[in-house]
Amino acid sequence: MRLIAVLAVVALAACAEPPAALGGDPERGRLLLRQFGCGDCHVIPGVAVARGSVGPPLHGIARRVYLGGVIANTPESMARFIRAPQDADPRTGMPDLQVTEAHARDMVAYLYTLR
Amino acid sequence: MKIAATLFAIAVVGAAAFVQSGVYDVSATNQHLAPTYWLMEATMRRAVAQRAAQITVPPLDRPETIAVGLVLYRAQCVKCHGAPGVAPDPFALGMTPLPAPLSQTAREWQPAEIFWVVKYGLKMTGMPAWEFRLSDDAIWAVVAFINQLPRLSPREYARLTAPPAAPPAAPAAGVPLNAHADPVRGKTALQQYACVACHEIPGITGATARVGPPLGGIATRGLLGGILPNTPENMLRWLREPQAVAPPTAMPDLGVTERDARDMAAYLATLK
Repeated sequence: MRLIAVLAVVALAACAEPPAALGGDPERGRLLLRQFGCGDCHVIPGVAVARGSVGPPLHGIARRVYLGGVIANTPESMARFIRAPQDADPRTGMPDLQVTEAHARDMVAYLYTLR
Repeated sequence: MKIAATLFAIAVVGAAAFVQSGVYDVSATNQHLAPTYWLMEATMRRAVAQRAAQITVPPLDRPETIAVGLVLYRAQCVKCHGAPGVAPDPFALGMTPLPAPLSQTAREWQPAEIFWVVKYGLKMTGMPAWEFRLSDDAIWAVVAFINQLPRLSPREYARLTAPPAAPPAAPAAGVPLNAHADPVRGKTALQQYACVACHEIPGITGATARVGPPLGGIATRGLLGGILPNTPENMLRWLREPQAVAPPTAMPDLGVTERDARDMAAYLATLK
């Protein structure tokens, strides 16, 4: 009985949705990742057309330690990297796609669901 | 009852035969089988979590504490665990299990768990117990610094630790360059140079790290390190001297020889 209770708690904890990163809207972020053509270069789970292989695949990106190999991965730094990748590394192949701050927040909210 | 006794006897005899035959491979160049690996990993994680639950964590964000931790980290930890953009010492790359990349550990383990592991060590892993060598305060300082690792870029770590350590010695000359590249040997080399400590690599048990990008599909990846076109020549350069190709990348120079780099590239070329 106690075991069942413990398992139930574990199952509930596993189901509970953590708050979205940066307060963005993950669903909208997923749409935006598609709209900005991120999938031309990256495989992004959950984004159907994202099958590019120019840059690294983004599965597990929420747990990735570095972004672009040069900066530490936090929701804030990811938003900055999406908006101005060349600030992190002038030689990066990742282009500046003129993403607004609000759009970057939504993208980060989605990408941080990829654990 | 009789059946149970018979089964038990068979199990004991079987186990004795297994031990006596010497068939089990204890070498550090062969990773455990996947089920063994999973079982040991899960057992270790549970054992640590269980024991760490009783530990009270002091404040870890005081700059003085973190600074002390950095000094201790550089003196005692970096040899085996490396640091952002800094490779572990060569001997540590030959260990099985590999010393964990702590920037990832710090993202996924509780500070109390890290404290417990530093203090008591981990049997049969090479992780020593520091209990009789460092005070609890000193261990907490190390934990406080490790706690900062995920937020430290390679550039920031280099700034904190300037002047930089001497560059690694030039790797010994490998076998003649025209030797055939061997993907099977390359797969072992990817373990032996600790590539698996940071990258998810299909086909290698336990290579599930998330420090750098996953290498599934690397054969058809467009860019290396986000900057270099993925040609065979560039792959060799990237494997051998990433710090020269792309400073300040988090990928450290590991002293990979030409031959080993060719073999690694041959294995990576199979990951389409």
